[in-house]
Amino acid sequence: MDLVLLAISAIFVNNILLAQYLGNCPFCGVSKKLSTSLGMGAAVIFVATLASIFTWLVYYYLLEPLGLKYMQTLVFILIIASLVQFVEIFLKKFSKPLYNALGIYLPLITTNCAVMGIALLNIKHEFGFWEMVVFSISSAAGFTLAIILFASIRERLFISHVPSFMKGTAIALVTAGIMSLSFMGFSGMVN
Amino acid sequence: MSRFLSVLLHGFWKDLPPFRLVLGLCPALAVTASANNGLGMGMSVTFVLIFSNLVISLLRNVIPNKVRIASYIVIIATLVVIVEMILQAYFFGLSQQLGIYIPLIVVNCIILGRAEAFASRNTPFLSAVDGLSIGLGFTMSLTVVGSIREMLGAGTWFGMSLASAEFEPFAFMIKAPGAFICLGLLLGLMNAFSHWRGENVIQK
Amino acid sequence: MREIAKLVLVLGLICGISAGSLATVRTRLADRIEQQNDLFVRGPALELLLQQPANDILGHKLTIDTPEGSMVVFYSQESGTVCGLAIETIGKGGYGGDIAVMLGVNMESNKLLGLEIIKHQETPGIGSQIEKSAFRNQWLGLPAHGPIQLTNEGGTIDGISGATYSTKAVIQGSQKALSAYMNSKDQISDLIQQSDAADQTQLDS
Repeated sequence: MDLVLLAISAIFVNNILLAQYLGNCPFCGVSKKLSTSLGMGAAVIFVATLASIFTWLVYYYLLEPLGLKYMQTLVFILIIASLVQFVEIFLKKFSKPLYNALGIYLPLITTNCAVMGIALLNIKHEFGFWEMVVFSISSAAGFTLAIILFASIRERLFISHVPSFMKGTAIALVTAGIMSLSFMGFSGMVN
Repeated sequence: MSRFLSVLLHGFWKDLPPFRLVLGLCPALAVTASANNGLGMGMSVTFVLIFSNLVISLLRNVIPNKVRIASYIVIIATLVVIVEMILQAYFFGLSQQLGIYIPLIVVNCIILGRAEAFASRNTPFLSAVDGLSIGLGFTMSLTVVGSIREMLGAGTWFGMSLASAEFEPFAFMIKAPGAFICLGLLLGLMNAFSHWRGENVIQK
Repeated sequence: MREIAKLVLVLGLICGISAGSLATVRTRLADRIEQQNDLFVRGPALELLLQQPANDILGHKLTIDTPEGSMVVFYSQESGTVCGLAIETIGKGGYGGDIAVMLGVNMESNKLLGLEIIKHQETPGIGSQIEKSAFRNQWLGLPAHGPIQLTNEGGTIDGISGATYSTKAVIQGSQKALSAYMNSKDQISDLIQQSDAADQTQLDS
């Protein structure tokens, strides 16, 4: 499959947040300010790519030969949780500026369904190694794109008049719906 | 006794997920294209929630504080894999429909949230009741959202045809944008109702 | 030090118990999961190919060894004699990956009963046309000694324009099933007799 098409499809057409519904908790939680959503997006791209590579390797070189496919869920979540811990320790020790920028988002990522979701989708679509790498990076990039766009809208929304009962999560969800609708416009681009 | 009742009932309105307790939005959006899928997802989550609360509460004095999150994750993941296998063995169609959203129960914040907020500091019996209450509340919400989306989007309810031939279903509702907008409007409606009842619980 | 030992011990115990309980549930349910998988994934294709209810055919499952690896074969019986076979193979080289196909063969007349696509990831609208009956019906009634080829290679199959890879993968898969059938006919008959005998003893006891 063409890798460029795969990337475009993962970022725009099948956007992980707006078309696959993954990663909504941080979407509503952290997307109130542009700067925090940039940080979250960067952390997700970083962790999701690493986690996908590890889970893919473990699945095809450990679980499948041993006939333990059914343990997939358990193994994947453990890999992701320990990876997040490891990345945190590593960054703290070797890259202070990066740690200061991403550190506070890392614990949140363990329970971010986008990361686990990308790892599971890689297996479901039966991707090869490079397809998996491209798909993971571009899905996470799609997540970042959506969360950044959304944060900008929410900053504007903050100063507009919203009926009191629609304030907060309610209006956020409706806004996300309209964004998702506009992303559906991309669906003709790639089949 | 009154404590038991309040724990039993709080999941149905006071802490109704995913509306009041804004956790677990992903499955609420993803699998509610039909009432049946919503119900199936809700029941799976309820199963995991009851048993994870029970086991974690039983072990609450054994698990050292430092590794508690890791232990919770292992326990929850084990239960999720069991649910996955049960669905494959007895509800194959449903397990195909729910797809990757079944393994994703693992990262559903509701379950880890209840483990941390309730099961780790209450007796096993009360924790199981809490799991039942929150789980059934979640099931109820998902079934309602699923019903609304299925009725408007496909003109059916649990697969039964409801509408006459003139009704043109608006497929928008069963696609992604419909999910977000339907959930957002329901949340707004609930807020308005709470406001009318004089409760002060609007989500910020 | 003692604290760390305790942490490791508790985590290890929890992991051990959970792995143990998963393995137990798995062994209990494995057969049923496979059965369900057969019923839903292969069942519809089997019903179309062999014209019998899926539940009757699914019990008649064999695995044969061929030079190209093991293959799954289902057979249907009518009043004791075997009339149809359904052979499942993987066609390599599709545009979106491997394509799983099932080929039906009539053992008496040595003619093909048809072709069904079990699983594919071809491009919707282009490669996915291999699912259409107009394409698949070209296999109906072909002689079992083969070969299955495209018209421009001297065969009888009209390819789908724009979906060369998909077409070729399906042809490759069905050709593989055919050669397996021609080469292992005797092996298949033996296996069927064996499993019949086993069924009989089970009924008797």
